[in-house]
Amino acid sequence: MADTDPSTTAAELSRRDFLRTSAVLASGMAALAASLAPLRDLKDYTSVERFLQKHYKEMTPAELQRVLDRVSREVEQQYHVRAKVRDYKPMDGVEFVYCLNLTRCIGCRKCVHACVAENNQSRNPEIQYIRVLKMPHGSLNLENGDHNYNPANVPEKGFFYMPVQCQQCKNPPCVKVCPVKATWQEPDGITVIDYDWCIGCRYCEAACPYFARRFNWTRPSVPAERLNPDMSYLGNRPRRQGVMEKCHFCVQRTRQGRYPACLEVCPAGARKFGNMLDPDSEVSYILRNKRVFIQLKEELGTSPRFFYYFDV
Amino acid sequence: MNGAAKSRAVLTALSLSFIGLGVAFYFDLWGHPAPPPGLALVDTNFISTATARQSAADLVRSGGDTSGLECYVCHERNKPLKLKLDGEGNVVVPKEHEDIVMAHGRHHRNNNCFNCHDETNLELLQTRDGRQLKLVDSPALCGSCHGPTYRDWEAGVHGRTSGYWNRELGPIDRKACASCHNPHSPPFPPRQPAPGPHLLHPTVHKERPV
Repeated sequence: MADTDPSTTAAELSRRDFLRTSAVLASGMAALAASLAPLRDLKDYTSVERFLQKHYKEMTPAELQRVLDRVSREVEQQYHVRAKVRDYKPMDGVEFVYCLNLTRCIGCRKCVHACVAENNQSRNPEIQYIRVLKMPHGSLNLENGDHNYNPANVPEKGFFYMPVQCQQCKNPPCVKVCPVKATWQEPDGITVIDYDWCIGCRYCEAACPYFARRFNWTRPSVPAERLNPDMSYLGNRPRRQGVMEKCHFCVQRTRQGRYPACLEVCPAGARKFGNMLDPDSEVSYILRNKRVFIQLKEELGTSPRFFYYFDV
Repeated sequence: MNGAAKSRAVLTALSLSFIGLGVAFYFDLWGHPAPPPGLALVDTNFISTATARQSAADLVRSGGDTSGLECYVCHERNKPLKLKLDGEGNVVVPKEHEDIVMAHGRHHRNNNCFNCHDETNLELLQTRDGRQLKLVDSPALCGSCHGPTYRDWEAGVHGRTSGYWNRELGPIDRKACASCHNPHSPPFPPRQPAPGPHLLHPTVHKERPV
């Protein structure tokens, strides 16, 4: 090549040519870097650590601790809040059951917002685990339910109110359809989701007959000042875009022995929660003594752990 | 010469296109999808676990102003109190007690202050079977008429609870009758509902008239 075209040999490269070529190359490299800028957002979707993480059930306690540390580091980076991220295990001899008194519910929707606050749900776009249906007296046809009611005062004459959330089925269709086992039923009856394992296919949303599951279509937005720092891995830690979430009976509270947030905020005392296996619990009393009339859509055979009842 | 010019041209073209891309990303020329319209954060009143009202017992426990519970600052001890009745036999509430609405019971039958208050000691309550109770022990008085509800309340099934479902891990906080019900007008007052779900596409999904 040197014989045919001497001007391109290194020895004869002029200063001007060298400068011009290096300027073009340097700006080209800078521009290449700049044009790859969108890749910076990739960390919102995954990281090497998260990508290499094992399934929740296969992690050793040490690996799980590393994951919890990573989650709390991510929370601090994103929200500048020091969060306590734990993994609460189910207790022995406990099966959780929820009972809701339709005679008492006044439809004030406080449970909806207490749940959002407790579980760090996205405020915009809005993700809420509980829907309160306003239903005309004398029927239980869900097609007559309206969740957009907005009168000056509740309750309204001639209507009753029926909050619907995850029913924590004994035979959960959502678990059956999950192709990657990112959602499963725990021994205490709570169906949980590993947000790091979910691939966002939304099969479970389609399978759920109760409209209990919610999908993060965009990056969830939670104001840092409203972030609940008491977090659990399978519960209320912040979610990312593209994963499912749903009510988990506040695992971060109930597995520490506390009542769920929706129960504590209910001004009418319509919500009752406890251990069905304990004969002295409130829920056992209700199941024995009250007119517990439905498990919602019981004909589907999902066998919910969520019971609606009336006062006698 | 031709080859060198060609490679320089290719390099320049590549560099220019990269610069173009870099500029486009920097200034966000394609634009992102418009952010969804802002939604106001919910009023913290709607996530407050405070009870609907404060009972005498709550007032004492929280160290609030209990001067309203001291009857004998105004009333005279050991002086029998006469109730004023209107033409229909209903109690006329004196203006010193005008905050009291007599609405306990639907048929104006429960219209006598001394059905519940003790006429010999106004700071006490009395049940129909003659027991005297302090104001802070009112649930037993309520229970002397509302038996089934009292039974449910004792089992933790009527009324509000908070704290721990597992008594081994922590205490349960049971609210007494008067923490939610006004004893003089017990039906639970209507209240403003918290905001409902925001529709994703308000123009497509219209609110359904009921």
